[in-house]
Amino acid sequence: MHHRSRSGSFLDPRTFLLLLLIANVITFSQISLWIEMGWIVFVDSMILLSGKYKMAVKWILLFCILLLLQYIVLPASPEIIATIFVILVNYSIRMFPCLLIGSFMMREISLRQFVLAMRKLHFSEKLIISLSVTIRYFPAIKEEIYHTKDAMSLRKIKSSKKLEAMLVPLMMSAAATAEELSAAAVTRGIENPIKKTSLLTLKLNFNDYACCVIGCLFLVGTFILK
Amino acid sequence: MSQISNSSSLKGKDLITIGIFSSIYFVINFIFMLLGGLHPIMWILMPGFIALFTGLPFMLMCSKVPKMGAILLMGVITGLIYFITGMFTVVILITFVIACVLGEVARFISGYYSVKGNIVAFIFFSLGMTGSPLPIWIMHEKFMAQISGQGMPDSYIKSLERLSSPVMLLILFFAPIIGAVLGAWISKRLFHKHFEKAGMVTNAS
Amino acid sequence: MVSIQGVSYGYESRKKILKDINLEIKQGECILLCGESGCGKTTMTKLVNGLIPHFCEQCELEGTVRIQDMEVASTKLYKIAESVGSVFQNPKSQFFQLDTDSEIAFGMENQGKSKEEMQSRLQNTVHNLHLEKLLGRNIFELSGGEKQLLAFASVYAMNPSVYVLDEPTANLDFSAIQSIKQLLRILKQNGHTIIIAEHRLSFLYDLLDRAVYLKNGILIKVYSKEEFLALSEQDRKRMGLRCLKEEEGELPKAHGAGKDIGLSIEALTVGYKKKCVLFNNISFSAIQGEILAITGYNGIGKTTLIRCVCGLMKQMGGQILLDGKIMPEKVRRQQCILVMQDVNHQLFAESVWEECKISGDGLEDSVIKSELKQMGLLSYADRHPMALSGGQKQRLAIVTAILSCKKILIFDEPTSGLDYATMIMVSTRLKKLAKSGRIVIVVTHDKEFMLSACDRVLKI
Repeated sequence: MHHRSRSGSFLDPRTFLLLLLIANVITFSQISLWIEMGWIVFVDSMILLSGKYKMAVKWILLFCILLLLQYIVLPASPEIIATIFVILVNYSIRMFPCLLIGSFMMREISLRQFVLAMRKLHFSEKLIISLSVTIRYFPAIKEEIYHTKDAMSLRKIKSSKKLEAMLVPLMMSAAATAEELSAAAVTRGIENPIKKTSLLTLKLNFNDYACCVIGCLFLVGTFILK
Repeated sequence: MSQISNSSSLKGKDLITIGIFSSIYFVINFIFMLLGGLHPIMWILMPGFIALFTGLPFMLMCSKVPKMGAILLMGVITGLIYFITGMFTVVILITFVIACVLGEVARFISGYYSVKGNIVAFIFFSLGMTGSPLPIWIMHEKFMAQISGQGMPDSYIKSLERLSSPVMLLILFFAPIIGAVLGAWISKRLFHKHFEKAGMVTNAS
Repeated sequence: MVSIQGVSYGYESRKKILKDINLEIKQGECILLCGESGCGKTTMTKLVNGLIPHFCEQCELEGTVRIQDMEVASTKLYKIAESVGSVFQNPKSQFFQLDTDSEIAFGMENQGKSKEEMQSRLQNTVHNLHLEKLLGRNIFELSGGEKQLLAFASVYAMNPSVYVLDEPTANLDFSAIQSIKQLLRILKQNGHTIIIAEHRLSFLYDLLDRAVYLKNGILIKVYSKEEFLALSEQDRKRMGLRCLKEEEGELPKAHGAGKDIGLSIEALTVGYKKKCVLFNNISFSAIQGEILAITGYNGIGKTTLIRCVCGLMKQMGGQILLDGKIMPEKVRRQQCILVMQDVNHQLFAESVWEECKISGDGLEDSVIKSELKQMGLLSYADRHPMALSGGQKQRLAIVTAILSCKKILIFDEPTSGLDYATMIMVSTRLKKLAKSGRIVIVVTHDKEFMLSACDRVLKI
């Protein structure tokens, strides 16, 4: 999830969540590859419409490569290689509908919008706070590891101790950050029981309704074909 | 006047602590998830490997937040991130919720401060990751049908059958149990060596 | 406005951190809390923002603290937050969002303010504090100083009447401190009450109204502004305080490149990728027996430069030589040791003693003992490094650097959290170190330290 807070994403986070659920149904029902391909064409055109051309091309290419692997390359390749890849390729194709919509959402929705959507969908406030701290801490972990690596390469650390030398400072700083961040949070009223508001507005627009309708058509199609 | 903020419900500080350790848990988890893509066996053993290496963040979180709901939140966060990024199916969210509820029960019975109770909880918790390869079995029939339809040689299909056999399913569930016990043991040693001395954890025995 | 009456505070069975404190603070006053490290100034701030007793477990608090008519001990923290805003020391651990706009709104959202009100307050905050350049940015790309300004903005948007600041400048460079100072001036003009715990005093002298001097948890004296600024140099040093006004004085410039002895940096270009060049064609040298200070405005750039010198990243152009020989990255990593600004990343062992043991090969116990003693750490030898205070950790990292026996030692802000006595301790040790033939480079913006320890300066 990126950092932008601008409203006006192509789709509402709630629409994304619905599409994600539908993608899961498609993945599990496995009626035919055609439904799956139809779904991928649909989502990819949405990505195109939202103006992310590079992303759209990248994902459609990836899907073609996977299909190529599954139907042409793997059956013709030696058994050892095939065993390694066939499950991965197969699973990736299965997951593709979810993966595609998931990555689209990651690119399109900011943490803020997602939090607001979760509030509107009446997720527990506890989950919302924890989850947003989790996501906010990812870049911090990257920074921590980067600094610790620096320090380790200037000092002689036995290779048997390297993992420990990496993990322990990370945990120490996590514990310290938890303490400091909490102090900052409570002094900014995070424990206030009042209903929290948001600077952003979430509103369903034409795109959302259209996507919901198309998504439901896929769902109906899946059940009819069953 | 003394103040002990040990009320049983999760407060701001607990939620932030859970959030941060979930973040670390997820990153380690994710690294092994990627490794799982290398070979199907790795994927099936993945929940075990993850358990082995995530004992530390889990146990630290437990000792920092001796309250009901901590494990559940950690599990739901992990499952939710995997679900919304589309990397795994909704199955992972379900297995995590089941595993974490069992973990919560273990902690509730053992009274939250017991190391043994936390280890049992960790074993349950680690089982939550089995939701990642589980669709291999759930979708088994269709999967095999599709593979044979692709015109793969028989010997090859046999070896795939073996991979998705009930025995492998057992391995899938046993690996995290063994991994969790070892992981908990490692983290206990590190607790002793570092975290207790640093004054980071007080209630580990 | 704020009234602290008969307050003692401590953990059970341990000695008291604060003893019988009485202090009345009027509306609109700017109060400085000062004293040596560990004197209890941070604890004082927690009394006011309610972290004591609400946030600290198993502590004992006697006496009462009131903010207007509100008794802190019996008021919920989120209620206190409406009138008391807090900014803390560490810029990295004060924000919750990934982008700046929502961070400024964070406190207001918790208070359940309406969208319109938040919008207008957000505009006001940015306008009044002149922080337009912060809008719409990724927080992880901000410098430490900008993060700290953002923390101020977020608090300001909640419109508290009292500001409690706990060493807000501890990790900041000179220009960032100037912007914080500017901001404090605005707050004061608007009639806000400011309570600030600081060891760095030189930026506060024209802002403060009274100064509270603490020692070992006892309030020794409350100085008026005039009294405080009239303190003699001797008195101020005896009290363990850092300089009250920016020290005057200049150091000679760094040697040019091309020395056959010592470290010579020739036409070095450093950056990430082609687009982002931080330094172009920079040349200087550092020789044995002298301490070179590197100072300047650009926070990120200095750190990148020393990473490059240490061999942690490749240069884009130019060379680094030691005694006339070109050093590639690998050799640099063998020859250099770096003490980072945040030393938490470089302490790995399970005890102070063990940390020293693993910093070099075949170190004799007597050597380690003497080094620890010089830095006042010998009595902590059995402690875990992470159980030390910030200043002690910093000194331990310096000890391990010295014990590494590497030729080139680079220190990044080694005095950022130190009071006067420990700063002098570090300064003395580094001077001795340089005399013993090692090459010492210090990145610092601590003018007092620079004048006391360094021989030459490179401004970048």
